[in-house]
Amino acid sequence: MAPPATAIKGTVFSIQKFSVHDGPGIRTIAFLKGCPLRCRWCSNPESQRSVPELAYNRDRCLTFDNCIRCLEICTPGAIHRDHDDRPRIHWDLCTQCLLCADACPSKALTVYGYEVTVGQVLDEVERDGAFYARSGGGLTLSGGEPLHQPAFAVALLAEARRRRLNTAMETCGHCRGEDLLAAAPHLHTLLYDVKIMDAALHRQYTGVSNELILDNLKRVRAALPQLPITVRTPVIPGINDDAAAIAAITDFIAGIPNLRYEMLAYHRMGKPKYGYLGRDFEISEPSLAEGSLTQLKKMVRQRHPHLDLVE
Amino acid sequence: MESATLECCDVLSPQERRIQDELAGRESVYLKSRQRPYAILKSFEGQRPRIDVERAIYFTQSMKETEGQPLILRWAKAMRRIAENITVYIDPDQLLVGRAGCPGRYGILYPELDGDFLGLAVEQLPQRSESPFNIDPKDARLLIEEVAPYWKGKTFHEDLAVALPAETLPLTYHPENVLLSRYIVNETASFRSSLQWVHDFEKVVRRGFASIRDEARERLEALDPFSPVNNMEKRPFLEAIIIDCEAIITWANRHADLADKMAGQERDPRRRAELERIAAICRRVPAHPARSFHEAMQAQWFTQMWSRIEQKTGTVISNGRMDQYLYPFYKKEQEAGLLDEDQATELLECMWVAMAQFIDLYISPTGSDFNEGYAHWEAVTIGGQTKDGRDATNDLTYLFLRSKQQFPLNYPDLCARIHARAPERYLWEVAETIKEGSGFPKLLNDEEIIPLHLAKGATFEEIYDYSGSGCAEVRMPNRDTYTSGCAYINFAAALEMALYNGRMKLYGDERIGLETGDPRQFTTFDEFWQAYLTQQTNFLKHAFIQQHIIIRLRHQHFAFPLGSALHDLCMEHCLDLHTPQIPGGINLGYFECIGYGTVIDSLAAIKRRVFEEKKLTLAQVIEALEANFEGYEDVRHILMNVPCYGNNDPYADQIGKAIDQAAVQFAQKYSKELGVHLDLRYVPFTSHVPFGRVVSATPNGRKAWSPLSDGSSASHGADVNGPTAILLSNFNTKNYDYRERAARLLNVKFSPKTVAGEEGTAKLVSFLRTFCDLKLWHIQFNIINKETLLAAQKDPEKYRGLIVRIAGYSAYFVDLSPDLQDDLIRRTEHNAI
Repeated sequence: MAPPATAIKGTVFSIQKFSVHDGPGIRTIAFLKGCPLRCRWCSNPESQRSVPELAYNRDRCLTFDNCIRCLEICTPGAIHRDHDDRPRIHWDLCTQCLLCADACPSKALTVYGYEVTVGQVLDEVERDGAFYARSGGGLTLSGGEPLHQPAFAVALLAEARRRRLNTAMETCGHCRGEDLLAAAPHLHTLLYDVKIMDAALHRQYTGVSNELILDNLKRVRAALPQLPITVRTPVIPGINDDAAAIAAITDFIAGIPNLRYEMLAYHRMGKPKYGYLGRDFEISEPSLAEGSLTQLKKMVRQRHPHLDLVE
Repeated sequence: MESATLECCDVLSPQERRIQDELAGRESVYLKSRQRPYAILKSFEGQRPRIDVERAIYFTQSMKETEGQPLILRWAKAMRRIAENITVYIDPDQLLVGRAGCPGRYGILYPELDGDFLGLAVEQLPQRSESPFNIDPKDARLLIEEVAPYWKGKTFHEDLAVALPAETLPLTYHPENVLLSRYIVNETASFRSSLQWVHDFEKVVRRGFASIRDEARERLEALDPFSPVNNMEKRPFLEAIIIDCEAIITWANRHADLADKMAGQERDPRRRAELERIAAICRRVPAHPARSFHEAMQAQWFTQMWSRIEQKTGTVISNGRMDQYLYPFYKKEQEAGLLDEDQATELLECMWVAMAQFIDLYISPTGSDFNEGYAHWEAVTIGGQTKDGRDATNDLTYLFLRSKQQFPLNYPDLCARIHARAPERYLWEVAETIKEGSGFPKLLNDEEIIPLHLAKGATFEEIYDYSGSGCAEVRMPNRDTYTSGCAYINFAAALEMALYNGRMKLYGDERIGLETGDPRQFTTFDEFWQAYLTQQTNFLKHAFIQQHIIIRLRHQHFAFPLGSALHDLCMEHCLDLHTPQIPGGINLGYFECIGYGTVIDSLAAIKRRVFEEKKLTLAQVIEALEANFEGYEDVRHILMNVPCYGNNDPYADQIGKAIDQAAVQFAQKYSKELGVHLDLRYVPFTSHVPFGRVVSATPNGRKAWSPLSDGSSASHGADVNGPTAILLSNFNTKNYDYRERAARLLNVKFSPKTVAGEEGTAKLVSFLRTFCDLKLWHIQFNIINKETLLAAQKDPEKYRGLIVRIAGYSAYFVDLSPDLQDDLIRRTEHNAI
């Protein structure tokens, strides 16, 4: 006998309550781990790899004066004493055994990602049910790319619907079309990223071409003409914050019926997390120029007066 | 962005923006339409309050002359003495008159309550760092020479101290000096003569004191002249009612005389007309029924000021349901074209600025610790339901909210009742007012309060008509009766005593609690839990013993003819409001749990780390605690990183529910012996700060002497799962199957960005609706950027006007002690994801 859908396992790196900016009402976001894209500006670098991974925030370390648990437990010798009496991690030696994180009292060493079942995620999500009832909120799947774990994501959404939860999903669109079409019927809202129209630039900045993404968008629209879909563009300084880049995107989506469009201002909040993972943050541009989003919105409104633009 | 210091905040609350505007020299947009209240506000803003001694002197003089007579009669005669002699004032620009002391910010004294502190107070008040007061040296001498000596050995506080049993005393006061509190099982009866109270103001405006006086006269004439009870109990009561009703009328008429005189000398014709009007109103009210909105406001104001002069009620007399009892006057005049919204608002704001000048002065160090920032809570209640269970909001309801949004003042406290069918418009306006950022209004939930009080014996009609009173309580002005200030119990101290076998680090080897054994020998969590519970229950035992004494002593020391005159049951039975048992009355008291989150998190840490995971031994934990974690940061973090209260985590919440349950079970068993509802409450005022100062390091990682968690809120920074989790943890830890529950105060702090824009308001409204669904009692918000608080701490002069929410009241941030400022900054700010 097949195991029940609620027993299907997947890997998430966070379940966050009280989200008020991603979908209607007060929501809970389940962040699924693993992403086929490597966007240079990604604000959740811990979302990219599929498996749980070690993170190290040196600011939280109590220093070796107070504690050497990690040093003692690390058999591959990946943890060394740094000049400020804190660990320095030799990432190339780290085997991701994660024992140091378990030993660390202050959570300077932690693990991004853990395995859970569909049932466990939804039990956690339902704990805020009283708030969804009044606000129209519910579950948002995010990531990473939720459809990077297609069976898990689809089972989550199907079971959420069965439990009468409002469902939303954020996707980068780079997934198998069948998977998207399997997930979409269980959704109340789809949030779909279109980042750059130029295929070569898209590949340069995200690691993949955008053909599959654009094609999937058309397919899901055709398959489910009534599903509310909001196309979103993270506006990144120096990459797609010019009128031409945004015009290209809106020209494309204006040709597809019944899409909302939203531009999101880039933020650098994810930057420290690159350090925690022993990685470099490749983007050095400062924040968006003041007023640039307003300018871009104005341009879009003039160019596509009938496009449903999120203010 | 207006200011360099706030560059990092994306969104400012309206209050923050206003302060930035002021710093940049821009005028408030509302200044033009509010010249009168602003002018009055400017006349005292930032002033250090003065002590006015007239009330204490006239009261004492009269009491000296009436010894041996029934107390209520003596009290009424003292009020007559005051009415005839106290200086009356009419402030420039004011439309409402009636002060209890000198112009500007002032406080008055109640030597009958705590006169044994007078010597200390006169010396210390001008120097004390929190809420200081000035006193004229001449007045100080009068107090020391004429007032204090008379009360020596007669005050309530002294009587209470000698009556405490030997086992109760060291939990209450320092055994060698009863002027010093121990902050363990802390009595609060000696710094207020009752808990918070609300008068039946509807009776004041509809009926007036002449009619009450006449009723008392008729009753007096009808007394059986041969009955000893009639002669010895009812007669003095009725005589006192007559005297006090006449006293307040006399006092009002002296204002009329002064207004007439000032009108005669006034050159400005506009002000002359105002003074003539004031004179006419003061001759009319509060003797007779009010005929206009202005008369009703003046009658209410005279009554509450007279109350303040007569008695020190905890948190001062609250204002009751102003949008209900004033509405008929407002509506009538508005329909007749005699009063518009702006004029009504001006009168309301005249009252607010008058209120702000009266400071609820606490002369004992303990009283002042409880009420930092010149706290007082004359809560105005709005919204809710009518006596027959219909939604009660009206046009006036919205005027109160608008005034709070537009006129920045920390008085009065605004209390918005909400219920399941509260109109959407009302909740939107409430949410918009909350977003203003100065902590108003607080919300009380009909869906919890009404059924709970039905279970406690109220009728539907009475409890549908409840008023908010004090910081989080409620009153039914003709049904419940006076209750003494009740014990504040340091639950974190009980935990400390479980760790140290009945002792506390601050007090060395002195055994204060029970000896529950050396916990290092315990082998199961249950043993530790039982030790804690034994200490907690012992505290409750002594709290109830205190209350037993207090209930029996209080009416020997206090009488309240004015409050009794306005109470149906007191008048019916000719009993003073202080009488321990009034037939038909419901006596709603409480005992207070301080450090709830601190204790839950500590027990969770011990349970998980010591007994389940065995990562630490209790000996190691105690070693680290005794060192205040110095050299034991690793142990501290191991203890801190466990499931904590405030995260909707069943592990911690189950412990919280068990603590709560043990306390409500105790109350269920023993409060009926006292004849009062002594129920479990979580409303700390600012006391979690001084209570923290006596508790050494705790196993939740809290350092020694730092503040405890406040009310039913989470420990500082322990709530990492967002505001929905805080509400749900509150829900999870309540024992809904008991009626021995009282208020739980809940603080939530949002960054302004979380609730920005119309979408933010919509989400805040749905958040409030869920609060209502969860049947939680109370909630209040601070909507402020942390950076603003840090900037204000650094540069208090510039942020003089910054109002923040404390615990059931709002106060100027710069008036608070550094400890409390830090405490506020450390409350977890909830950002949306």
